[in-house]
Amino acid sequence: MSGFAAVLRKDLRLELRSGESTLALLALSMLVLVVLVFALDAARVRSLDAAAGALWVAMVFAGMLGANRALLAERDNSAIRGLLLSPLDPATLFAAKLAAALIFMAVAEVGAVILMVLFFNLDFDASLARLAPILALGAIGFSALATLLSAITGRTRGGDMLLPILAVPIFVPALIAGVKASAAALAGAPLASMGDWLKIMIAFDVLFVTAGYLLFEHVVGEDG
Amino acid sequence: MSAPIVETHSLAKTYGLAPVLREVQLRVLAGAGAFIVGGNGAGKSTLLRILAGLEAPSAGHALVFGQDTRRLAARYRRRIGLMAHQSFLYPNLTARENLEFFAELYSLADARASANQWLGRVGLAEVADTRVFAFSRGMEQRLSAARAMLAEPALLLLDEPFASLDHDGAEIVAALIRGAVERGASVLATAHAIPEIDGVEFAVFEISRGRLEQRAHTEEVRRGGRIRSLLGR
Amino acid sequence: MNNSAIRNWLGFSTLALMLAALFMVFDYVPPEAEQGIAQLIFYFHVPLAWVAFASFGLVAIAGIFYLWLGDRLWDDLGYAAAETGMVFCTLVIVTGSIWAKPIWGTWWTWDSRLTTTFILWLMYGGYLMLRASADDTPQTARFAAVLGVVAALDVPIVIASVRLWRTIHPAVLVTKQGGHGLEDPRMVATLLVSLAAFTALWAWLLWLRFKQLRTRSRMRALAVRIAFASAAASDGR
Repeated sequence: MSGFAAVLRKDLRLELRSGESTLALLALSMLVLVVLVFALDAARVRSLDAAAGALWVAMVFAGMLGANRALLAERDNSAIRGLLLSPLDPATLFAAKLAAALIFMAVAEVGAVILMVLFFNLDFDASLARLAPILALGAIGFSALATLLSAITGRTRGGDMLLPILAVPIFVPALIAGVKASAAALAGAPLASMGDWLKIMIAFDVLFVTAGYLLFEHVVGEDG
Repeated sequence: MSAPIVETHSLAKTYGLAPVLREVQLRVLAGAGAFIVGGNGAGKSTLLRILAGLEAPSAGHALVFGQDTRRLAARYRRRIGLMAHQSFLYPNLTARENLEFFAELYSLADARASANQWLGRVGLAEVADTRVFAFSRGMEQRLSAARAMLAEPALLLLDEPFASLDHDGAEIVAALIRGAVERGASVLATAHAIPEIDGVEFAVFEISRGRLEQRAHTEEVRRGGRIRSLLGR
Repeated sequence: MNNSAIRNWLGFSTLALMLAALFMVFDYVPPEAEQGIAQLIFYFHVPLAWVAFASFGLVAIAGIFYLWLGDRLWDDLGYAAAETGMVFCTLVIVTGSIWAKPIWGTWWTWDSRLTTTFILWLMYGGYLMLRASADDTPQTARFAAVLGVVAALDVPIVIASVRLWRTIHPAVLVTKQGGHGLEDPRMVATLLVSLAAFTALWAWLLWLRFKQLRTRSRMRALAVRIAFASAAASDGR
């Protein structure tokens, strides 16, 4: 799939060159966490539930920004038409955009986890290793959902505001599962004990990666 | 008689309530060249976009390589090159990077070599490693031509290819068109007026208020055949 | 059966079933021992919920057919189902709130079914906002179809996750779904009649709205044909 590699490499190259997306994502994650520290008054009390919740809030916001950016690159000079014209399969394009959004989100997540540990008085210990697969599952599902939806919202008048309105209710199950599993992981529970939550996240991921792959061709056209 | 490479049947397109194309009947044979002349807003760009498979017609249908343009498989899209008013280029990538990217998308054997070759052909070799946002409109247009042609498509769709080009640029693009025709490609280009391209005969159509009419004598054009064109030859 | 016949048949059925349901709820079914008269809302709340979820399913099915066949009819059906379903979904939430207040003293409880319904309500809202913020084109119809399909496919996952969420942290208040130990057959009968009544109401409203949208689509198609004809006519000049 040379098309997939070409598009992904192009997006990463564009991002490395300008760096504005990654910087914005990290800044946004940090600011969201700061707001939540004050809102939840987390400075005094060590609360794993608050930490897990704040982390996921930051991730959701960063994820939406990331997905938007991934498709924004194609707006200049109607570059998307160049892609649609080419032999590249729309489904492959989705996969490449998903991969790019995922990478952006992974970078933001690493930053957010570090900040979470610092702001919420946690430790850099083994519980973070258990957190990683949970965050990965969440990132995959959210990136798939947001990539699919931002192709839609990018071309409607609602634009930027419409994406969270559409994405958040749909993301709720993965959000619930993710926060619960994250809090449990931070408390030291083994991954085996969170089986049900993980199953929900996996089901969500499978649904949205598949749906995005199959349906992207319907949302990426330029028709009037 | 060879099969038509482009064929439309009662093609129509509306944007909202405004008819942009009406009852368009067009036939272009393989290896032929055709110019479609018309003013602004006449429907030229829309027609090319439909033929490239980027837009669906509102009524009627268009066939390219015998395939309905609404459902063009990848192997047919590979053989179409479109040069439009927008360049489809990434401003933050260099000229070379842009061409290499498209070369990879079109699965060309040696992307780097193809990119270099075409940069040379359009006279942009010296600025190969400059980012496209720094290009003038004419340079971007030339790079866009390279992008459209680098996969050596069997069907070239060119929307006002000489717009924004100075004399040198126009010569370069004319040479590219000639080269494409010589290797057997079909060319369908739009313009406000017919330019002179030595050694190539073109059929001429006129599009006005969405209606397409032939101006040249023959309905189908074979390369090298005798036609009466607007140049009065 | 022509259009006005269908409309009338649906309308009269709704009227008849509603009257029957109202009679059964207020005069026939015995009130539940614990909750008293407030429990009667159950006979409205539950059918409303079933219909709200079913309507969303229809939005998704219509969306699939639209993506597959491209006929504007399916898009109109999906849109009508979304608008109608939204009304019913809102009523589920309102009746749920009305029920919660006398029983538990709060206007809202995050029990699993109410929560899931609320998420559904948000999805409906998103769908309608997408429609409102985009022009009436085939592209928008495709967008709405895709949204409807993915949201509907998500609903089972929402149900599962919310249920799990509520069992891990059981509500302080006992779940109100006490109605699901429906011992008395009169309760079952009343519930079924009420369900039939609300389904008929839904079908009737859906039909009315669907026909409206069809008329609008046909008028638009006609306007396009007129535009073509007048362009052709002015060619001659």
